[in-house]
Amino acid sequence: MTPSLATPLEAIDDLRRDRTGHVWRRTALDRCVGWVLPLLFLVAIAPIADLVYWVGKQALPTFTWSVLTTNPSGAGGGLFAPLAGSLAILALATGVSVAFGFLGGLATAEYLSERAAGVVRIAANVMVGIPAIIVGLFGFLAFVRYFGWGSSLEAAAVTLGIFMTPYVYRATDLAYSSVPSHLREAAVGSGARPLQYLLRVATPIAFPQVLTGVFLAMAIGVGETAPIYPIIPSLVALPPLGLSQPVGALPLYIWEGFENGLILPTAIHRAFQAAFLLLVIVIGLNVLVRVIAARSRRRLEGLFQ
Amino acid sequence: MTPESVPRDGRDRQPLPLSERLLSGLARWWPYAPALIPVALTLAIVASLVGASALQNFGWGFFSFNVTKYGILIFVVGSFLTSLPALALAMLIGLGIAVASTTFLPGWLSSWLDPFVDLLAGIPSIIYGLWGFLIVAPFFGHDIFPWLAPLLSGIPGFHTAVNSPSKEGTGLALAIVILTLMILPITTLLMRDALRSVPRDLWESGLALGATRLEVASRVAIPYSKRGIWGAAFLGFGRAFGETVAVFMVISQVQRLPTNVYGGTSTMASLIISEINDNLSGTGLHYLAEIALVLLAITLAVNIAGRWMIRRTFTDVAGI
Repeated sequence: MTPSLATPLEAIDDLRRDRTGHVWRRTALDRCVGWVLPLLFLVAIAPIADLVYWVGKQALPTFTWSVLTTNPSGAGGGLFAPLAGSLAILALATGVSVAFGFLGGLATAEYLSERAAGVVRIAANVMVGIPAIIVGLFGFLAFVRYFGWGSSLEAAAVTLGIFMTPYVYRATDLAYSSVPSHLREAAVGSGARPLQYLLRVATPIAFPQVLTGVFLAMAIGVGETAPIYPIIPSLVALPPLGLSQPVGALPLYIWEGFENGLILPTAIHRAFQAAFLLLVIVIGLNVLVRVIAARSRRRLEGLFQ
Repeated sequence: MTPESVPRDGRDRQPLPLSERLLSGLARWWPYAPALIPVALTLAIVASLVGASALQNFGWGFFSFNVTKYGILIFVVGSFLTSLPALALAMLIGLGIAVASTTFLPGWLSSWLDPFVDLLAGIPSIIYGLWGFLIVAPFFGHDIFPWLAPLLSGIPGFHTAVNSPSKEGTGLALAIVILTLMILPITTLLMRDALRSVPRDLWESGLALGATRLEVASRVAIPYSKRGIWGAAFLGFGRAFGETVAVFMVISQVQRLPTNVYGGTSTMASLIISEINDNLSGTGLHYLAEIALVLLAITLAVNIAGRWMIRRTFTDVAGI
């Protein structure tokens, strides 16, 4: 970003010209705003505190091990199958997104010229903005219908993997391009081959950042309903048995609770527990990301100056 | 070896066979290929929607308000009606939080509070939807709308003559509120980073001239980071425009334009997810693919504009 220097300097000049005097009034306004504006944090944080508290309050009193170990039956039962299904979809989708995103990001950061990288980065950034439901519709059209995989674990996993790919891609790209260039010069100067530089200099520095990107993509992917709903529209009460079998997933059970909850109280009960499990997974992954980021920042202190 | 024995140029050499040229080209260019993955995936998504959309079968007659003849404009309007007000609210609140965090709060406090805002971006939208439908909707229907609606009834769009707010509380107004909460972390984060990128000397020269912190923030820092703020607006809008599950759960979906802010309507995304299960083939699927294509075109345009404004991502937290 290259803003013209004229604007802020003119603004400062402007301040000097017409804001002199009225000192008491201006200071008082500044103090008031300084107390009022931080209250806006409450607008952002209070609803979420309420959400987490409410989900916990609904789910925890009846949360037992049987929720995790039994399959859903009818409108009740446990959540073993959807939890296993969600984790299976997430594991495969992470594999797909790392295969696509890591290689793509690495190639962009290490091999492409600045101009070409700029173009590909725009594509990745734009892909982040594609609505999840459109990726879901694409997965349905391409994998379920065109390739004929049917309503299956593999179709859901690949679709979710494609949804997660740009996040991994951008994290990898950013991680490898932010390795300081003097390290490359030092490595090449002391006789390292390009592959040696990549594996033994760049990767140890970039890896924690790639890892945080992958975990963030997982946190985003595991809770998404829209990419998998068009592929697995009906509720599945069995754990995943094979790649071509349909699976259940936690978000789909929350959806079910919303659709039938007013008629079947047990369905909404189950939806709360699914929501609670999802929240635990998502918040856990986010905390993990912060821990890794903080640790690697401490380890690499002094490298980026 | 004498210099004469070395061929001076390639003319006296036999041209390599095509297969070898291809192989050597492949060997040189293969590391570049994976970089095209995002481009290829984006193109594949566009191609699949174009292939399945109704354009080829029915032409451009879909751009009408007549739902019975598969018009889509109602949903386009519905999408704008939910996401534009949500964006306006999220930008105002987000700018307030960003200024508070960069200007007024002490560093230790804002470094404690900021991660919470970032965490909001990670809450799955279906949980927002469930919470909005079961908690916020009854709260609005019973406690907020009954005294707010008479106060606002003079404003166009808020009149209650045709459709007074129901006790259920779901509808356009609730969808706007939930969307605001959902895109608030994105707009806040991007604006906070834009404000943080204002050079220290500009801050200090402003303060040294006797301006208050508020004046420096509003008249130096915000104009300086104008581009980043616009980028936040575009990207926040793109997110709100494509939001699917949560909107569907709180908008009390009907396939018509809302009569007032308390009425139900549909957005493009919420229509797709509510109808996909019943339209897995045939005209219905063409219709949904057509809506998806229009939705994709608008979000792509908005996102490209937003990225062009920001130029480079300041942050990668929360995958924005």
